[in-house]
Amino acid sequence: MPRREHLLKIGVSGVRGVVGEFLTPALACAFAQAFGTYVGVGRVVVGRDTRSSGPMLQHAVTCGLLASGCEVVNLGILPTPTIQMFAGSSCAQGGIAITASHNPPEYNALKLFNARGLFFNQYEREELIDLYHQSEFRNAANGEIRKVADDFESPARLHISRILKHVDVERIRRRRFRVAIDCVNGAGSTMTPAFLRDELNCEVHAISIDPEKPFPREAEPRPDTLGDLSTLVSATKSSVGFAQDPDGDRLAVADETGRILDNDDVLALAVDVALRRSSGDVVVNLTTSSAIDDIAASHGRAVYRTPVGEANVVETIQAVNAAIGGEGANGGIVFPAVHLCRDSYTGMAFLLDRMAETGESMSTLAARLPRYSRKLGKVAYEHGRLGALMQALEGHFPGARLDRLDGLKIMLPQGWIHVRSSNTEPILRIAAEARSAAEAEELHGRVLKLLGEC
Amino acid sequence: MNRDATKSLRISHVGLRGVVGPGLTAARVIDFASAFGTFLDAPGAVVTGRDPRASGVMIREGVAAGLMACGRDVIDLGVVSTPVIQHTIRRMGAAGGVSIGASHNTAAWNALKFFGPAGVYLSTAEAGELLDIYHLRKFDFADWRGIGRLHIETGTIDPYLDELAAMFDIAAIRGFCVVVDCCNGTSSHILNRMNRRFGTHFILINAKTEGVEFAHGPATTRDTVGLQLAPLMVPLGADAGFLFDVDSDRVALASEDGTAVSEELVLPLIADYLLPRHEGKLVITNLSSTALLEEVAARHGGRVLRVPVGRQSAMDALATYRPEQIALAGEGTGAVMMPQFRFIYDGIASMLAILSMMKERGARLSEILKSYPRYSIIKGEVPLLSRQIPALLAAIRERYRDGQVNATDGLRVDWPDRWFHVRVSQTEPVVRIICERRGDPPRELYNELVEQCLAANTY
Repeated sequence: MPRREHLLKIGVSGVRGVVGEFLTPALACAFAQAFGTYVGVGRVVVGRDTRSSGPMLQHAVTCGLLASGCEVVNLGILPTPTIQMFAGSSCAQGGIAITASHNPPEYNALKLFNARGLFFNQYEREELIDLYHQSEFRNAANGEIRKVADDFESPARLHISRILKHVDVERIRRRRFRVAIDCVNGAGSTMTPAFLRDELNCEVHAISIDPEKPFPREAEPRPDTLGDLSTLVSATKSSVGFAQDPDGDRLAVADETGRILDNDDVLALAVDVALRRSSGDVVVNLTTSSAIDDIAASHGRAVYRTPVGEANVVETIQAVNAAIGGEGANGGIVFPAVHLCRDSYTGMAFLLDRMAETGESMSTLAARLPRYSRKLGKVAYEHGRLGALMQALEGHFPGARLDRLDGLKIMLPQGWIHVRSSNTEPILRIAAEARSAAEAEELHGRVLKLLGEC
Repeated sequence: MNRDATKSLRISHVGLRGVVGPGLTAARVIDFASAFGTFLDAPGAVVTGRDPRASGVMIREGVAAGLMACGRDVIDLGVVSTPVIQHTIRRMGAAGGVSIGASHNTAAWNALKFFGPAGVYLSTAEAGELLDIYHLRKFDFADWRGIGRLHIETGTIDPYLDELAAMFDIAAIRGFCVVVDCCNGTSSHILNRMNRRFGTHFILINAKTEGVEFAHGPATTRDTVGLQLAPLMVPLGADAGFLFDVDSDRVALASEDGTAVSEELVLPLIADYLLPRHEGKLVITNLSSTALLEEVAARHGGRVLRVPVGRQSAMDALATYRPEQIALAGEGTGAVMMPQFRFIYDGIASMLAILSMMKERGARLSEILKSYPRYSIIKGEVPLLSRQIPALLAAIRERYRDGQVNATDGLRVDWPDRWFHVRVSQTEPVVRIICERRGDPPRELYNELVEQCLAANTY
């Protein structure tokens, strides 16, 4: 029997699904009303990315929040980090971003933030979901229903002013960098060109900055989806190219030749910049490159590893009071001095500042990074079978250092292997890293072979 | 309106109504709007508007979300009267519309009313289909490419006033000093605009539209008129006083001598004005409204058609006649529609008709009212025990066998000089008792009926 498609997920990350048949206005409204009931009477900020379903869902969410007695501040179209930051500094009880981040356009989701502008922790999330399931919402009477206010200006101002405190603005402005950008017609379409042009005095060449148009490429910014940015960098002889995902939290970077940098290298560059100016350690997920360990070591800092997922990284950054953190493969940089969230804008500012400081090109900066080769892959896999594979791997690499925090990571003299099952799909993710491409390939191949045998 | 708020929800052919919070919830609003989006056949956008109740914003958000999810663009008019919404649906050629507002109910309530193309209330068959879709909760949501958008449209009052100005000679009534109790409702926006645009002289009280509490209950009745409006007439030297419910589809009045006029007189008054120019045409009303209407109609060779109480019956009756066969339609609650505005109850238009009549006749309002024979009506209600209703009606019918019986909606019994109507309310769990007599109030008849209804609860 074919697997029944149910393209809706109500879980730890909020509500996510294909709009229409699965993610309905009723569901969004009820979830927002549960959220409003949970955070309590007060102000809730709401913003969204540029998906066509965004306005409809925002009305549904606003309806649910008002019904719970909350006042709603409509922020319009904004990047997720900007919404989070504003939620955390506007005396709000919380915030909701209506965005499915890097998912395809038919998806949408509600991301939920607490009064500090942080993703709910695991216990908050569980309480909220219980409340949602019990459907015992606060139902405000006429006299208790508050208003909707618009604030389209303050959040971006707050976000940008925070970033500018952590870079040498004059140094960047003097260089008048020529920068190519691809905003995927997403939430950064207005803010990103303005940030680079007006604040950092860049000469901006932009594609896909029309928030009314659909995403022109795959939403996730990866080397294989950013051909247009590469072309634009070359055609305009730009010093660097930046690409965002639809909600502006993830960043991909092209060097001046148009080559798209490995996302792990982008994170490594940002970590290097952060550690030059801030004290504290580094937090990355288990799949992030060992280049981070080398860079941290060169600054005399420690590296903490977490399970995959922004929330995990953010929680550990808080716990160890780290200087910076992130997740390599998915282009997420978290610099807590700006805010405890993935933020492509901090990444852009850091890289431009480093270029301005050193006078070196992006390709040179990237080439200076510790050299590792990575092989990432995924295979269809039943969730329940991971245990057998893990046992086989352990037997295959006797004496190796193991980490079972998230799937299994095997650390070997020549590199490492990380296998884990996806939280969202019935697939197994396999990552291998080594000093050379051949070695990485070989490690990856060994896992696939074992997978075939067990 | 003393019902337990948690049991206030009423979902029927007239739409959705209840006390916001315990009765009318966001979830129900979204589902009903989704059902309406699924129900609508005609292509085009859907017009929405609301009265100033604070809960209206919440409900507007839910209505917009449901309609947009069904692929409909939504044109939101903001805080406007129900007649303006209906006019705008027609003017824009929209597929339909939703009016968010609980009209004559207190501020705690809210409701949704639905309109089809041309701003027409849904027929009973259509409303039934809408209810079925709501109950099934199987909605036709668009995929991500087809989801609708919301557009804000302001400035819809002027085109509405253009239509009123084409129908009434507004310049001619500029000389009247008119006091209006807006009940903190949508009429204040319209009348302020009329004062600026036409130089009319409407003095507004309770004109703020803040929506948390109203100055007083907004029911268009003689009692409400007596609270603040009627006492102002003589001190202000006003020629007439009008009171509108919150969404301005109903009107009540005070005469220049400070009398709070019975709400029952609005319809006969306008019939008296319109029938001479619509000789022999129909007046459609319900079984509960004053018998004075028959007398007034007879003066002008008109005919009264009485249908069961409720907007739905009136709409169905209207739909069975051609527009040129009808002089006007209305209820004893101050809701009147004229043939030019077919299917639209419009309090402002009703007021303009009455002022035009005063102007044309050169008569004071009290003089016109005195030209009608005196009728006295008593209205009351008794709590309902649903299962006893059939027995109760049979017992009443048995007791008053000497009268002429009409059983199409509860029981109406007529004698030459008096009548009564006992029926079950569509909006509240009560039995309504209405008695009227030409001359003095039929107090004895009324008391008999109340006793009999109360006794029925112990059968």
